[in-house]
Order: sequence, then structure tokens, then C-alpha cells
Amino acid sequence: MTKYLLRRLLHGLISVIIVVAIVMLLIYSLTDREKIFGSDPLFSKKSSNVRTTYKYEQWEKYGYLDYVTYNDYLASLTRSGEITEEERASAVEIAPTAKVTVKNGERFVDIFAPDDSPKASEYIRKFADAYQSKGYTIVRLNADYYSAKTQQLANGGKQVLFAYKDVPLISRMFKYFTRIFWVDNIHYVNSEIDIGERKLSFTLHDPAYTGPDGKVKFSPAITGNGTLHKYLVYCDNRFPFIHQNLLNIRMGTSYSVNKDVDVFKTMTVSQGAQVKAFTYYPTGFSEISADDLHSATYQENSRELNPIAIERYTDDYTNTDLRLSSKSKIGFSFVIGIISTVISYFLGVPLGILIAKKKDTVIDNLGTIYVIFIIAVPSLAYIFMFQAIGRSIGLPSTLDVNNESWKMYVLPIVSLSLPSIAGLMKWLRRYMIDQMNSDYVRFARSGGLSEGEIFTKHILKNAAIPIIHGIPGSVLGSLVGGIITERVYLVPGTGNLLTNAINANDNGVIVGLTLFYSLLSIVSLILGDILMGAVDPRISFTSKAR
Amino acid sequence: MNGNTTETEKLQDLSSLGIPEEELFSRVESDKLAAEKITAPRYSYWHSVFRVFFRKKINIVILGLLAVIVVFAYIYPMFSNYDRFSSVLTEGGKHLTPEKAMELHPDDAKIHWILGSGGVGESTFDAIWTGSRISLSLAFICAIINMAIGVVLGAVWGFSKRFDLIMQEVYNIIGNVPYILLISVIVMLLSASFWSLVFALTVTGWLGIAYFIRTQVVIIRDREYNLASRCLGTSIFRIAMKNILPFMVSVIVTLAATEIPSYISYEVFLSYIGLTMSDISLGKLIGTAQPSMFTPGMQLEFWAPVAIASIITIVLYVVGQNLGDASDPRTHM
Repeated sequence: MTKYLLRRLLHGLISVIIVVAIVMLLIYSLTDREKIFGSDPLFSKKSSNVRTTYKYEQWEKYGYLDYVTYNDYLASLTRSGEITEEERASAVEIAPTAKVTVKNGERFVDIFAPDDSPKASEYIRKFADAYQSKGYTIVRLNADYYSAKTQQLANGGKQVLFAYKDVPLISRMFKYFTRIFWVDNIHYVNSEIDIGERKLSFTLHDPAYTGPDGKVKFSPAITGNGTLHKYLVYCDNRFPFIHQNLLNIRMGTSYSVNKDVDVFKTMTVSQGAQVKAFTYYPTGFSEISADDLHSATYQENSRELNPIAIERYTDDYTNTDLRLSSKSKIGFSFVIGIISTVISYFLGVPLGILIAKKKDTVIDNLGTIYVIFIIAVPSLAYIFMFQAIGRSIGLPSTLDVNNESWKMYVLPIVSLSLPSIAGLMKWLRRYMIDQMNSDYVRFARSGGLSEGEIFTKHILKNAAIPIIHGIPGSVLGSLVGGIITERVYLVPGTGNLLTNAINANDNGVIVGLTLFYSLLSIVSLILGDILMGAVDPRISFTSKAR
Repeated sequence: MNGNTTETEKLQDLSSLGIPEEELFSRVESDKLAAEKITAPRYSYWHSVFRVFFRKKINIVILGLLAVIVVFAYIYPMFSNYDRFSSVLTEGGKHLTPEKAMELHPDDAKIHWILGSGGVGESTFDAIWTGSRISLSLAFICAIINMAIGVVLGAVWGFSKRFDLIMQEVYNIIGNVPYILLISVIVMLLSASFWSLVFALTVTGWLGIAYFIRTQVVIIRDREYNLASRCLGTSIFRIAMKNILPFMVSVIVTLAATEIPSYISYEVFLSYIGLTMSDISLGKLIGTAQPSMFTPGMQLEFWAPVAIASIITIVLYVVGQNLGDASDPRTHM
């Protein structure tokens, strides 16, 4: 049994990897990568050569390519001591214009310009040789002038020289999968930065938990210096009371939906209005604020740049999240999903049994009409209908994160459960009628069992097995949320996140969500099998019994 | 003794009726050819399918509705010459109720404006049917491609054990990706157009159908009559065509009945999340008219395409289901 399940799990994980590979191939290799800038406000503000280099910088940051500028190259040579600072300074200035050739309507700028100083020429050659041999493409952009006469540079029009190379899919995937789990460690902060002794320390009295009177309460915590998070393990009064930042899950960085934040965090972090409370900062400064000190992460030089941080913090762990009042994206999806799952099983199963029992009567026909309606009509259409009906009887038709009430959950839950009720009814009716016509039922009847007994002890038991197989799927599926429902009712959940990411061409989020969705579907299939094996003694996963 | 006499009396009575004797009884020579003839009424499969189909009166009504839909979707647009921006410059022509739209366009046939006008002053009624044509064509083309690939591959999948091993893996892998995610990503990549939508819906859409057919084939494949047929030396191809395919017709038709409306639903969904085609389609109409959903006086713009989409899908589904039922030979008794 365990062996079989482990093999299934392994099989599933391999298929998850393949799925993510397919999606990555589709997204990173086949799409126009300019599209990601469509909703980037910074991009539209930049112009000329700076806009081009900004694109390459972002592409490097999001794992499309490796990008090295000539300046970086010279700086790295200086650091390693190959050239002196004066040499660097004389080599770094490249001539504003080089020869341009036009081929097939595209402009190509020569890498070498006759006007380059001898020193610059020498190092440009070295730069080009070093990177071209590694398969990089060298690009030189000429200075962009407002007018050629005055030689006045356009905004961001300074000449540049850089090299880039696309990251191959295999290495991108390797990077992605090895990065998924990351353990925070004291070597996170760049080793060149002096931040004092790098260590983990344990305290029984967590300073971030100081009360308004300045007294420190008992609350064990592990803090780190040199790590990304200041608090690695801590306790507080929120469920599940003990929290950790030690093991981090990274599923892909967002570009536009939630800039620079990982999908996993985007899904799990709370949303809504700020919860302000008495906050006692490390310096002793205290105020009513929504800063969650337990979420502090390292930000280089933040105290030098920000006077507010100096007042509050004793170290550079200044980047905190806010305490927010409402549930996370997964939280919203799960609450709505789990309630509707429970409702649909409690209603769908009895209704399915009812229409099977009353086969070919008015009740059966009514049930069938309902099932046909749900199956045939586009789900968007009936969700709109539910929304309109709900609105007309005074229910809120959208979800407001800042102003929660139980009423706003009614319509999303109804919209999610009515279709699954129809699905359950349809399948249960089919299975039960199949069982009714089988030989063993006829035998049981001829053996003198009452109809009620046949129904509950034989037919229902057998017909329920495929239904039970689907339960883990529906429970875990509620984490995913209804894509359409969440969008119609503006639920800030995971289903909505996917459509937002697709609209904004946010590739990191799409890959992350693919991973999340496919992991869930594999786990739920395996759980379904286990559950089915548990209720049906005939099903066995050991090879002997099969 | 007594009975015999009465019978002869009866015979005598009959002869007194004036009927010639050869009409009463005549001696028939034994005919070997005639003995081979089957006297049961001739059974034609498709004839029986339609006989059973039309036995239900509701089917005639639904089929009539389908005919109306097809006429409006495919023939009406030829006459309406729908141009989305034809009335864009007409002052005060946008978001009109039917009465006002008819007042504004007194020269046009009333039928154009019975659903009012939309966001750029276009006729909602014409837009819906032009959109229906695209949506229906999309659904039919996708269904034909998916069903063709799915049925053929599914049959092979069911028969060949080696192919089964490979396909099982492929199915496990692709089946793990939510279909909606996959089609959204593909449409996003290809930038939505009619044929890229067809591609997105068919690139993995056949897999589910093939798996379904495979399961059915596996169930029927090892039945005794097929075993017997194989023992008698019937080729696999003949078994597939003559022994198994007739069983599959009703399954395939029923499957098509759920598939065709689902493509319309997917198109509506994709348009709604912003992956719209450049052509006008039912999904695009619903998506663009969504803001006017609750605006008084403009609701028709939104609810009319929703209603038409629902009617089309229900009609297609019911026709398909009932045709599927009728094509099951067990209902032909």
C-alpha cells in the first residue's frame, strides 16, 4: 500500500514537473516578451536607450536572460584587481556613435567605433571576446540626440554597450525547482556587508511582543542576524499561534499583479483594511501602527536612506508587512469553496438519491431539467443570472474586503454549489440506476429483502463509491476557487489571481499557479484513491491482491 | 364422430358461399429458396433511430427551434449586412431601448431593432446573430476536430496495449493541468483569433474524449461475442468496424451533445476574462455589454446575448442527448 502510494506520488511529481516545463516553454519561449511591460508604469516613463536597458534589466531579473553591461564588466575587473580604477575610468567612456548598417529593415550598430579612445577600444574588444565566446550577443546603442546639431542628449539617450544571452529552458527549470524550497540562513545578507555577528539567537521574551506599559511578555522566539527574516520562529495570538519564516516556499515572482512578491506569499498574506495596534519598536519608540514587526525582512541601507526607519529600528530589518484585517486569497477561496462543497454534498446526494428512486416521475423530470440547464448553459450565463436574482432580493452582489458581512458570501457560495449539486445529482442518478438493473439486486429482491433494505444496503453503498472518490478533489479544489465565480463577485481569491495574471501577462504568477493547481490535482486524486480503498474493501492497492 | 360431421357441414357451408375452392386451400410445392427468406420486418438502423427520435413530440419542437437558430445564425446575417460601426456616427443612437431605436431608424426593417441598440449604436439583434454564427462555427469545428481525433485515437488506445502504456502517461500528465488554465495560456500566447481559439480548444481537448472512448472500447472489446469473432479469424479492423462501432454510435453522439455546448461556454468564458477574438462572438457581446447588466434601459444589451447563448446551448444539448438515446439499438424495440 505505502509502496504503491509512494510510487503514485513520485509519478505525480514527475508529471507536475513536465506540466510546469510545458507551461514554461509556452510562456518563456513562445510569447512575445515585450508583453510583460504592458502594465508596467515604470516602463512607460522611460524613453530611448534607458528604456531598452530597463527591458533587459527586467528580463534578467525575471529569469529570461543573462545581461551584462560593459560598465559591470569593467567594474568586476577592477574588483578582481586586474585593472586599476584610473584604467577603468579611461576605458568606460565609449564613443557616442558607431557605424550603423541596415539589414532587412533592422538597424545594427557596429560594436567598435572609430572614435573610441584606444583604451576603450582595447577593453571593448576584450569584453566582446570574453562574452561572444560564451554565446552572448553584444549590443551597442548609439547616443540619441534631440538634434544632431546641438549634440544635446535626449532623455535617457546615452550610448550603451551590453551583452545578453537567453537562459535555456533546462537551466531555468532547474533553477525554478531548486529554488522552490529555501531555508533562511545567516549567509543570506551579502557577505561584503558588515552587519555584526551573524548568528541565530533564542529568546523567551520576544521584544516585538511588548505591551503598552513597556513590560516584556513571555513569548519564545528565534531571531537571526544575517538572515532574510528577523524572526525565524515566533509565537503570537493568531492561528496557528506558532509561526515560522525558516522554510520559505517560492513559486514564482510576480511582475505586475503584485510586483516583486512571490505567488505563494501573494496567496497566503492577509488582505483588507489595516489593523492598528500599539507597536513597540526595537529602539524603544512606540506608536499605534499596523506594522507587523514579526514580518521584518532585511533591506540594505534602509536606515541610511529613511529617517523614519532610524527612529524605529536598531538594525536594517526594517521591511515589514502590515497587519490586515481580512483573509488571504487562499483563505477567501477556501472559506467559500469549503462551505459550498459541504452544502453541495448535503443537498446533492439526497437529491440524487431522490430522483433515482422516483425515476420517470415528475420529480425526476424536474431534476433532469435542472441538470440539463446547468450542464448546457455557459456557466458565466447562469452565474450572472444568480447575481441578478440575488441583487434583486437585496444581497450584496460583490465582495467587499474592507467591510465584511456574512451576506456577501451568500451569492458566491450559491453560485459555486448549484453547479456541483447538479453534477452530483447527475452522476448519482446514473450510478444508482445502473446498480438497480444489476443481477445482484434482482437476486437480493428474490431472496426476500425489502426494497428499503436493498436500496440502503446494496444500491447506495455501491453507487456512492465513485462519489466518495471525488470528495478530496472537491475539498482541495476549494483552495483553487471558482475562476468565474470569483471574477464575477470580485472575490479576492486564487481563482481571480489567475485571470488577473493572464490579463497582465504576469508570467511568474502563471507558472506558480500552474504548479499549485497541478500539485493539488495530483494530491486529490491520490487521496481519492486512498479514501475509495478505505470504504470499499474490494479495492486493494497491493499488487498481490490485484 | 359428431364433431367431424359438423366440420364437414361447415366446409359445405363455405362452398355454398360461392368462393372458389383454390382460395380456401391450395397445395403449395416445397420451395427451398422461399424457405431461406426472413419474414420479419426489415430492420434499418438509421431508419429506426429516426423513428425512435421522432416518437417523442418534444424532439420535433426542439428540432424546429434548432432550425430557427441555424437560419438566423447562418442565413439572416447574409441579409442583415451587419457592420458594427455603421451607426457609430448617428447622434443619440447608443444604448437605446427597442422603441426608441425603431423611432431613430424609421427606414430600417423593424426586426433589426427589436432588441434595441448597443454601445456603438449597433443593432443588438443583428450583433447577436452574427456573433452566434461565429460561436456556433467555433463549436462545430472544434467538436468535429476533437471528436475525429478523439474517437480514432481512443479506439486505437483501447485496442493496443503498447499504445495504452504511452497514452496513459500522456493522459496523466496533460490531465493534471486544469483545461481552463491551458486554453487561457494558449490563447494568451497566440493572441485571440478564431483559429487560435480553435487551436487552443483542440490541442488537448481530444484527450478527454479519447480516454472516454478508450474506456468504452476496453469494456466491449473483451465481451464473449468479440472473443468468438476473433477465434473465427475476423480481423481487428473488421471487429472494430462491425462489432464495436455500432455500440459506440450512441456514446459518441451523447458525448458530442455535451461537447458542442461546452465550446460555446469556453468561448464565453475566455471573452469574459479578456481573451477576446477580434470577430464578434456571443462571448464578446456578453463581455462588452457586462457593464450595462444592471443599468436600467440597457439591460437588454446584456441579457439578450446571455439568453440566446443559453437557448442555443440547451437546444444543442437536448437534441444531442435525445439523438444519442435514439441511436442506442436497445431503445429500438
